Amino acid sequence: MAVPTVQPRSPEPRPEFWLLAWARKLGNSLGRPVFAVVLSMIAGAIVIMISPGGSPGAAASAYQTLFQGSFGDPQSISFTLVRVGPLILTGLGVAIAFRAGLFNIGAEGQLAIGAMVAGMIAFKEPHWPAWALIPLMLIASIIAGAIWGGIAGWLKAWRGAHEVVTTIMLNWIAFYLTDYLIDGPFKAPSQATQTPPLPAQATLPRISTAYDQLLGGFLPRIDPNAYNLDVGFLLALLALVVYWFITARTTFGYELRVIGQNPKAARYAGIRTGRNIFLVMAISGAFSGLAGAIHLMGQFPYTLIATTFSIDPTGFDAIAVSLLGRTTAIGVLLASLFFGGLRQGGYLMQLNANIPGDLVYIIQALVLFCIAAEFLPAIQRALPAWMSFSRRPALATGIKEPTVIDLPREGAASSNGEPVPVEGDAAATDSATVERHSERVEED
Amino acid sequence: MFWHIFLRVISSSDLWAATLQFTALLLLPALGGVISERSGVINIAMEGMMLVGAYAGVMGAKATGSVVGGVLIAIIAGSLLALVHAIVSVNFKADQIISGIAINLAALGLTNYLLPLQTGGQGVPSLGNNLRLLNISLGPISNIPFIGPVFFQQNIVFYVAALILLGIHFLLFHTNAGLRIRAVGEHPQAADTAGVNVQLVRYMCVIGSGALSGLAGAFLSMGIAGIFNSDMTAGAGFIALAAMIFGKYTPFGTAGACFIFGLGEALSVRMQDTGISPNLLSTLPYIITLIALVGLVGRTVAPAADGIPYEPGGE
Repeated sequence: MAVPTVQPRSPEPRPEFWLLAWARKLGNSLGRPVFAVVLSMIAGAIVIMISPGGSPGAAASAYQTLFQGSFGDPQSISFTLVRVGPLILTGLGVAIAFRAGLFNIGAEGQLAIGAMVAGMIAFKEPHWPAWALIPLMLIASIIAGAIWGGIAGWLKAWRGAHEVVTTIMLNWIAFYLTDYLIDGPFKAPSQATQTPPLPAQATLPRISTAYDQLLGGFLPRIDPNAYNLDVGFLLALLALVVYWFITARTTFGYELRVIGQNPKAARYAGIRTGRNIFLVMAISGAFSGLAGAIHLMGQFPYTLIATTFSIDPTGFDAIAVSLLGRTTAIGVLLASLFFGGLRQGGYLMQLNANIPGDLVYIIQALVLFCIAAEFLPAIQRALPAWMSFSRRPALATGIKEPTVIDLPREGAASSNGEPVPVEGDAAATDSATVERHSERVEED
Repeated sequence: MFWHIFLRVISSSDLWAATLQFTALLLLPALGGVISERSGVINIAMEGMMLVGAYAGVMGAKATGSVVGGVLIAIIAGSLLALVHAIVSVNFKADQIISGIAINLAALGLTNYLLPLQTGGQGVPSLGNNLRLLNISLGPISNIPFIGPVFFQQNIVFYVAALILLGIHFLLFHTNAGLRIRAVGEHPQAADTAGVNVQLVRYMCVIGSGALSGLAGAFLSMGIAGIFNSDMTAGAGFIALAAMIFGKYTPFGTAGACFIFGLGEALSVRMQDTGISPNLLSTLPYIITLIALVGLVGRTVAPAADGIPYEPGGE
């Protein structure tokens, strides 16, 4: 394995009791996300209060409905988890690209292409049995998403084209292309701008149905109509394990981190940057492509409808999910639960509390601001010394998000097209990167 | 058959008038993007700033009872949203792409959130002719066949956009202020050493881009549509982003790109008779931009310090 020869500095001045060290580590990794969530929820409450007809009571009852509608009872939880599955998958897709310092904004386009290809197979061969159709559709959506994401990776590796711009362009190409296919070759005969529903054997079974068939004889049965969660959610959980394995237990995952934190060091260490950039974008697209297939195959109406992908929030929620989850598997799971709950609860909030569910977008935007901006260090600096919760360097580096801060940049491409940092600031950032790097090495 | 319809469409003044209208709509936010990115702040939030401008324009026109009031409020709303982007990315050194995404989300959320509350659930607000930005005829020259309807019966914002294009080119390449903007975008440390206030320049440029996007939003809602619909920008801000990159971050290059994309937009509506899907035609601007990005028609290179927060004194 190619390991850059970096001497780890000793970040800890003195040995610490293990429980305290563990608590500090947990606090460091939770600090910024929790701060972001709390601050955004408070700001969201203020928005409700200052809106026409708003009051503190209205904000309180809105949040109560929000919680009731998302995690209040088993049925709501089932509805929420339906939204969480695709969020986990797209969130993992964005997260694995972040690991390599790449910003994949194209999750929604990759999701659209994945759903489209899965649908096309079912519409072309509607009489195939389920055991052939379902795996084929899932695999095809993974491959299609991988190709769509891989294009952006290849353009980056080959010509240094900035992945943010290429994925935005690929998103809109995907939206119009799927609109064309849905409203053209695959249009339902009697209906406008949508395809016919999938054949029944091409849909994913519900977990409650599967449970009833396996265990219903011995245990109380579950009503499949009340609990509509499909097995796509289990696939998403499986993907979490796969993600964890790739990032934490493979050479490839290690190389991604090195590229993300210091592309120059990665190249000197003999890591094939270009190949890895292409691969990681393809994997990123694969996750989102699968999300598209699950979205289509898992839930009513099992139909592709034109112009829905461009307004579907999943792909953009994914960015918030992976940032809030700090690109770790467990973090992505928790953040998906949070945003999936917000979306589902927001729907009920609109119905019952008369607060427009679009408040969720505002909360989400605030979460992004809080994570991206260095509000926390700024507040810390502003506090008098005795109030400051910690000024130890461990916290200062711990709350930095290296994958986000060190985005490789357009225009900083070397002659063979592989991205390298601009000469001038490479020297300046080297020491900081080494420090962060050594921290990572120690973590493993 | 195809060529017959194609020739008829191409030779109609209607097509070219619509093309110029779309060009102006894309040009305003794209020029905003040019000055923002030239000063070193990535702005992918033109979409959101346009949307807020579109909303504020309609609501402002209704509230003040005047067109000018509506346009001013739209410009102020776009600028305020841009101010948030500036504060977060210049002062708090946030990742500018994340901030841009957040702005787009916030704009969509805010307009959708406020719409039912402010209209009391009365549905989409539409404007009477007295509150709309209307097309104007420039005296006798508007009667020249073909040229008149294409160039001299345009919306008032079209002429404003043309003036702004000349103004921004002059500003960037023929004034001291423009030199400072470009210096800040290419090498902020050097600019700072030379006595340029890097943060102030970036603030002004980002707010300027918000003002232009807000004006474009007002043009869309108060001029072209006469109504505000949820998410009505529908990707126009992203086409403007593409035009800016395709135009290599120069005002005239961007204007040329906007013209090509505007023509594509106008054609996609009128070519339906030929059997070519408007959806497929709509992908063309994005495909062209991808090709431009990989350098098959001249490589696009962003300003050197684009997207990097400036820290006085270096790291």
